[in-house]
Amino acid sequence: MKRSAAMRAGLAVALLVPLVVAAAAVGLLTGAGELSLKAALSGQEPDSTVFFRLRVPRVLLAAEVGAALSVAGVALQALLRNPLADPFVFGLSGGAAIGTASVVAFSGTAVGAAAMSAASFVGLVPAQIAAIAGAMAAAFLVFALGRSRGQLEPTRALLVGVVFNSFASAVVLSVESILQPEQTQAVLLWLSGTLGYEAMPLLAGAGIALLVPALLLIALAGRLNLLALGDEGAAALGVDVSRTRLFAFFAASAAVGIAVAFTGLVGFVGLVVPHAVRLVVGPDHRVVLPASALGGAAFLVLADALARVLFRGLGAEPPVGAVTAIIGAPLFVMLLRSRR
Amino acid sequence: MTVLLEGRDLHFRHAPDAPEAVAGASVAVRAGEVVGVIGPNAAGKSTLARICCGLLAAQSGEIRLKGEPFHRLTRRERARRVAFLPQQQPQDLAFTAREVALMGRAPHLGLWMLEGPRDLERADAALAEADALDLRDRPVSQLSGGERQRVFLARVFAQDAELLILDEPTASLDLAHQVMLVNALRKRAGGALLILHDLALAGAACDRLILLLAGKVVAEGTPADVLRPDVLSKSYRTQVDVVPDPASGQPLVAPRITRDRA
Repeated sequence: MKRSAAMRAGLAVALLVPLVVAAAAVGLLTGAGELSLKAALSGQEPDSTVFFRLRVPRVLLAAEVGAALSVAGVALQALLRNPLADPFVFGLSGGAAIGTASVVAFSGTAVGAAAMSAASFVGLVPAQIAAIAGAMAAAFLVFALGRSRGQLEPTRALLVGVVFNSFASAVVLSVESILQPEQTQAVLLWLSGTLGYEAMPLLAGAGIALLVPALLLIALAGRLNLLALGDEGAAALGVDVSRTRLFAFFAASAAVGIAVAFTGLVGFVGLVVPHAVRLVVGPDHRVVLPASALGGAAFLVLADALARVLFRGLGAEPPVGAVTAIIGAPLFVMLLRSRR
Repeated sequence: MTVLLEGRDLHFRHAPDAPEAVAGASVAVRAGEVVGVIGPNAAGKSTLARICCGLLAAQSGEIRLKGEPFHRLTRRERARRVAFLPQQQPQDLAFTAREVALMGRAPHLGLWMLEGPRDLERADAALAEADALDLRDRPVSQLSGGERQRVFLARVFAQDAELLILDEPTASLDLAHQVMLVNALRKRAGGALLILHDLALAGAACDRLILLLAGKVVAEGTPADVLRPDVLSKSYRTQVDVVPDPASGQPLVAPRITRDRA
């Protein structure tokens, strides 16, 4: 490793961008029906509508969410000094699930109707707003309870997050018992992680919103490296450990909150992608973070393409979260075994 | 000689109801000087070291670096001027030795923490200084205890600080590397404060010794002043003999252990 971190990061990005482009091409060209690219680009219907209204937004959404979950996974693994941390470990999934389940329960009531009109005003559905609100509420709760002497203490926060997630799943199960079967189905689909079709301006907004935490985490990457030396080792090198943790925690939470609002709980991306990336580029976060963002984007775009063709003959489509878990779990074990 | 570090009447307790870990100790390190802190377990040596590098703030007393009070320096300024080696190093680091040495450059880097060619040169020079250049491409997790310690010493050297504070730096080093470390410290322009358990090494390596007991300085001066059988036996609560080294005249400390079996 003679090259500087900047050069290695540049090299990783240069090699991964073509991978993302290739994944996007696969994503754009696979789907329920046959599609002529030529017809779509020359404006012929229905190909044009299918391509620009369905496939392009879906691929963009998969790329954004994959990148967000992977970057958050890297940050939380560094924060906890634990490679098994995933983006939902701090209770974010539980918070978002409570939010979504309660919105589903309230839909059809007067409260639900009011929420619906308020949410459509900003172009989101109430469940999405509730998911973001739930995830952020969980982040603040875990932050408030996971502190000791004013500092975020990773192990304590981790325990609070794990306990909160179990509590949340109990709440969701209780709510489900009063729901109609089709509402239960909607909650279940959300819990397993699904990609839908969002409007382009909303996707652009989410992309810009995701850039903030992503850039913040990349700026913190050098300090995240030093955290591996332990709190004292990092502090002795001039790192403000508690502030670094605070920023990394909330940046990762924001990225996860945005991702979860669109897709529900897509598991394994934030776990498998960082591991695979580290295996290739080493442990330096200045390289791992940008590489994981691109790798995560490519991974989820491909997993979604697979989800769309897997049961095509039956006219059905499994949730993308099920596909990432089915690929992710064995892949993760393989990665673990290949580590010397 | 300019005084690098001066701490006066320092007090520290880890919790309001805990006894004072440092109870009115004073320390000074001058430029070009190697000062050893010795004392039995729980005498407050490591706490004193942490106060001297700014990781802990003394609850009373004052501490200055070249006359400047610590609290006026930013974290990064302090890290550029004082380097600290903790007693224990993380063992499971996936980083290579060279990457760890480069971490010593962190306080000198900019916002994005990206190193330049000069930082890479300094890291290699520091690895050579700690006799760890041949380990540079190996992950730290694969190294032996002594090898790892040399890599972390390189990290401290790469920091280019005027004051080095090393907590038991020789604990896992073999004899040759203990000598190497002492020689490297003597060659440096700045000062060093070492916490040592090996009293023979303390006598041979240090210009001045500070003997700490229950957070207070009970003896201070040249090795010959401090390494006296009466002082040591009382502080360590065990019978200690001190004999002059036949070659150099330096005091050699030996615990008296009875070999008779009943």
